[in-house]
Amino acid sequence: MRPDTAAGPAGTADLVDDLVAALAPDRVRTGAVELGLYGRDASVLSGTAAVACFPLSTAEVAAAVRIARRHGRPFTARGSGTGLAGGAVPVGDPVVIVTTKMDRILAVDPDARVAWVEPGVINLDLTRALAPHRLHFAPDPSSQQACTIGGNVANNSGGPHCLADGVTSAHVLAIEVVLPDGTVTVLGGLDPEPAGLDLRGAFVGSEGTLGIATRIAVRLTPDPPAVATLLLDFPTVEAAAETVSGVIAAGILPAALEMMDQRITEAAEAFAHAGYPTDAAAVLLVEVDGLPAGVDDAVERIGAIGRAHGARAVRVAADDAERALLWKGRKSAFGAVARVAPDYYLHDTVVPRTRLVEVLAEVYAIAERHDLGVMNVFHAGDGNLHPLLLFDARQPGTMERVHAAGEEIVRVSIAAGGVLSGEHGIGLEKRDLMPLLFGPADLDAQARLREAFDPDGVANPTKVLPAGSRCGDLQSIPEGLWV
Amino acid sequence: MDLGVDDDELASCVACGLCLPHCPTYRVTGEEALSPRGRVAAMRQVQWQGVPPDDSFVHAIETCVQCRGCETACPSGVPFGHLIEPTRATLAEGGPFPLRRPRRLVRLGLRGLRHHRLLLAGSSALAVAQRLRLVPSRLSRRLGLPARLPVRRPVLRSSGDDVWLFTGCVMDAWMRDVHADVQRVVEATGAGVALAGPGAACCGALSAHAGLASDARALAHRTMAALPGDAPVLVDSAGCGAMLRDYGHLLGTDEADAFSARVVDVHEWLADRLDALRAAMPPAAGGTSPDRPVVAVQDPCHLRHVQRAHLAVRTVLSPFATLVELDDEGLCCGAGGAYAVDQPDLAGAIRARKVAAIERSGAPVVASANPGCALHLAAAGVTVVHPCTIVARAIGRPDAPVPGAPAGSPA
Amino acid sequence: MTAEARPVPEAVAAFAREVGPAAAGPVAVAGGRTQWDVGRAPRAGGADADLDARTADEVREVRAPAGIVALDAADMTVTVGAGTTVADLDAALAEVGQTVALPDPPGATVGGVLAVGRSGIRRLGWGPVRDTLLRVRYVSAEGDVVTAGGPTVKNVSGFDLCRLLVGSLGTLGLLAEVVLRTRPLPATERWVVGEVDPFALVGALHRPAAVLWDGTTTWTLLDGHPDDVAAQAGGRGLVDAPGGGPALPPHRWSLRPGELRDLPARAGHRPGGFVAEVGVGVVHAEVAPAPRTVEPAVARLHRRIKDLFDPTGRLNPDRDPLAA
Repeated sequence: MRPDTAAGPAGTADLVDDLVAALAPDRVRTGAVELGLYGRDASVLSGTAAVACFPLSTAEVAAAVRIARRHGRPFTARGSGTGLAGGAVPVGDPVVIVTTKMDRILAVDPDARVAWVEPGVINLDLTRALAPHRLHFAPDPSSQQACTIGGNVANNSGGPHCLADGVTSAHVLAIEVVLPDGTVTVLGGLDPEPAGLDLRGAFVGSEGTLGIATRIAVRLTPDPPAVATLLLDFPTVEAAAETVSGVIAAGILPAALEMMDQRITEAAEAFAHAGYPTDAAAVLLVEVDGLPAGVDDAVERIGAIGRAHGARAVRVAADDAERALLWKGRKSAFGAVARVAPDYYLHDTVVPRTRLVEVLAEVYAIAERHDLGVMNVFHAGDGNLHPLLLFDARQPGTMERVHAAGEEIVRVSIAAGGVLSGEHGIGLEKRDLMPLLFGPADLDAQARLREAFDPDGVANPTKVLPAGSRCGDLQSIPEGLWV
Repeated sequence: MDLGVDDDELASCVACGLCLPHCPTYRVTGEEALSPRGRVAAMRQVQWQGVPPDDSFVHAIETCVQCRGCETACPSGVPFGHLIEPTRATLAEGGPFPLRRPRRLVRLGLRGLRHHRLLLAGSSALAVAQRLRLVPSRLSRRLGLPARLPVRRPVLRSSGDDVWLFTGCVMDAWMRDVHADVQRVVEATGAGVALAGPGAACCGALSAHAGLASDARALAHRTMAALPGDAPVLVDSAGCGAMLRDYGHLLGTDEADAFSARVVDVHEWLADRLDALRAAMPPAAGGTSPDRPVVAVQDPCHLRHVQRAHLAVRTVLSPFATLVELDDEGLCCGAGGAYAVDQPDLAGAIRARKVAAIERSGAPVVASANPGCALHLAAAGVTVVHPCTIVARAIGRPDAPVPGAPAGSPA
Repeated sequence: MTAEARPVPEAVAAFAREVGPAAAGPVAVAGGRTQWDVGRAPRAGGADADLDARTADEVREVRAPAGIVALDAADMTVTVGAGTTVADLDAALAEVGQTVALPDPPGATVGGVLAVGRSGIRRLGWGPVRDTLLRVRYVSAEGDVVTAGGPTVKNVSGFDLCRLLVGSLGTLGLLAEVVLRTRPLPATERWVVGEVDPFALVGALHRPAAVLWDGTTTWTLLDGHPDDVAAQAGGRGLVDAPGGGPALPPHRWSLRPGELRDLPARAGHRPGGFVAEVGVGVVHAEVAPAPRTVEPAVARLHRRIKDLFDPTGRLNPDRDPLAA
């Protein structure tokens, strides 16, 4: 039984008819309740879509883009909608182009270590499909069981393993894209040095503003022959932070290096029972991989460095089951927080590793000043800090305090030599904070790149760059913009 | 419009999206409206923002399998079952939503479940009709019936009063041989089994899921009255077990709470008595070990996500079979009680995913502790056996191989 | 502190002043001239020698600032002037047990290798040049100092202009100062050689730094823990190659890694006449590659980007990334 597609928001009847003709009646949606769902992603922001459609092929994506243009509408691409910065939130009543039905792994070449995938393939599904070849897709964001490869490309997603392996940009070789004018082309290539500028690299992380990826050639990473996982606990945060610096300075590049503060360790342990010490001021979860002798050597040296900085205990997982248990403790942190407080807001900032201790102290102070709870998870390997602010949204005035605290945390991070976002992207959420990191000439340069791809401003408008980024920018803000 | 959903529970979702890959309808469509997060957001639009329910809303709600897989996956502990059930009940009560014909038939059928003798007689008649080729197999499949209903059923007799065995409605009519196997296995541990007879026929689960709340409550009262006392109530159908354990919530009385506390899935009960079962295994004849069938364990959603008792199945099976795990994290098979009849396209697509996972596992036989799942998978050609049937064969008649396992296969 | 308040280092500001505003006319950057012929845009008439003589009058040559600005071993980053030689950078990093994945022909500058964008032979194990650039301060066609990227390994703040600039041959902006991602120096490094199947070898080894093949002989650069290196080298018919890797023929091809198997049979290649980077696809050959065609949409994007970033065409005017 198909939903009624005849009635849609005012003024969209012709648009809907054209989309139906180009795609199929049951893959164009105008039902009010359903469209309301496409007004949101996993962020706290929302917008309104004029119509949502589900293409099955590159040709259909291109047709949808052209039809949107013909009717004077912008377009916004969407995968699973797990973005936390509002990148998929529709602004300006666009056509929402949902890629989730383009979910095929098209070809896997284990010898060349390349796979072509459609944008709707779920990240973890790809890695699981590669397991028989003892290969995997390296970027592993914590949303990997739900997020799509297309979304990973748009956000230049990271994950705990990106210190050693690199972010998504390092794992994408070529991208077939539908450009904002509806042209289909391929950026990059399977050869190592495609002709000309690295347009592929410019496209990764562009958050849907330069076009829509319809096929992606991803680089496949061999599974490491040996892996070891350690848990270290410390009496002070400083000791843990110094250990992190010491490990890196000693030339050890762990596959993953995660730090949790006491508050979040307590919450996680109560939920997961992984044996984490709840009286430690901070714990480090470290994973090293590679060839056996190198791994054994790294384990020994990490333990020694930890103890030299005052680690109370160093626990090395004896087998896969214990490894899984240690990781369960870390991965439960997010879920455990959700059961401790009615609401929470997950922040995403990056600071140089060497400034972690002072930034953490400021984060605690900021939370206290705004009368909010806070717990911290830190991808210590690459400086990515995730403060979780805890609150009860039903109390009046709470969200204002949450946003104010969030902005202060961002400012503190940038002042310490960090950047605006490590994983979540800019989207809508941090768009107006871009001037904290970039001056007018910097924003103008980014706007020029965007203008080269999208001179008419139809691809996911109002995202990433604040209004006026392009010197002489006379674009008007669409009506009904909600931020 | 008030859907009858508790506002605090409705507020607990933070839209993180981690439920999406664990939802069977999202997995086969990629559509937000057919995901738990989307359904919660849709309920909020209707109950909080006054958005009028439209066809897209009805479609989102009526396509939920109610497998509760999202509850297991949700980091925030959203009680999705408590959100979808009152919403479905509100929709079923009528109003501006046209009820489509298949659902009316289903409601009629569900009302018929109250009358167990009628069900038995009707099933026998259908069984004969099938053998006389008066009922095309396509129709059987469409109605969710086995291709060959049993004409004769074993007679079950009580053997004591240590435990009750709940026999249910459809399972008793169509798969009573499984109850016979379960009874034999339970008795092998030394316990006497009491049977309630037609009074405790239907637990009410199908009615509750269809939104027929008052029918469900009436059936609950009848069932409780037919199973008096303090003895544990063993259930060998995951769907029924989940429902019986939920009577406390459904009826809200102390009596119902006390009853629900007595209910236990048969595998959980057996898992505590494994030594007795092992002892009941006949010694290997002539030094050769008995054939251990290779079995993939399918987790019925009501066992895995509602009762959280699926590990007990593995505990009970492992002395008697070589177990293979499916690689799909227990995703629903699409049976969903009457779902396969109500939403055949989606149920078929969801089943295809499960069948593919079974094929990837390489196991020739699937063990399923729920009749609905068993029938649904069998209709796609999968060989499905109840776990207790495997145990019964192992302890009772080791020379009778498990259906589907090759004769004389090595242990 | 907002971005406006962050001060620009004096050396970078001085470089910007030297480049001057658009009206100051065409400028070209010279580094070590080690890859000077890459991306020469052909001009109508005149041999290359005339080209140099003619353009020398019109185009001002500038040099980017040199010197290590900051070295943060614990953060695995280094901030360095683009005019610094890779050799000097490597020497400074070696003191803290680190290195950087940039090729180092003698005299090559950091800015030069980034602007050309070609990786060294360790690309298989260490990754390409373009993944090393985290942040750049460059001088735009208007003579402004522009900052792109960020000083951290993980960064998704805005558009990735760093990737656009690597390989741009200085035609979009002149690199002044860069923040690079470093890597630990391996405990040991060893060249081994043998007449073995390089494709099987790439599959069997775990992250070799390089596997080079001339159609008959395979050279492999292994690095890491000494025991692991010994284990990887042993039992495969490989022996130590004290002379290091092979000499590399002058021309450079870029092929899909899967196409390398057929190289000996292809017209124009003979065993010993090429050295292929197996698993990567770069081929060092005696013969020049055929000119490559580019999709019209890609060419259009190149033109638009160039027009927006350098409307008067003053930055390295005789270079074209599409001709590289």
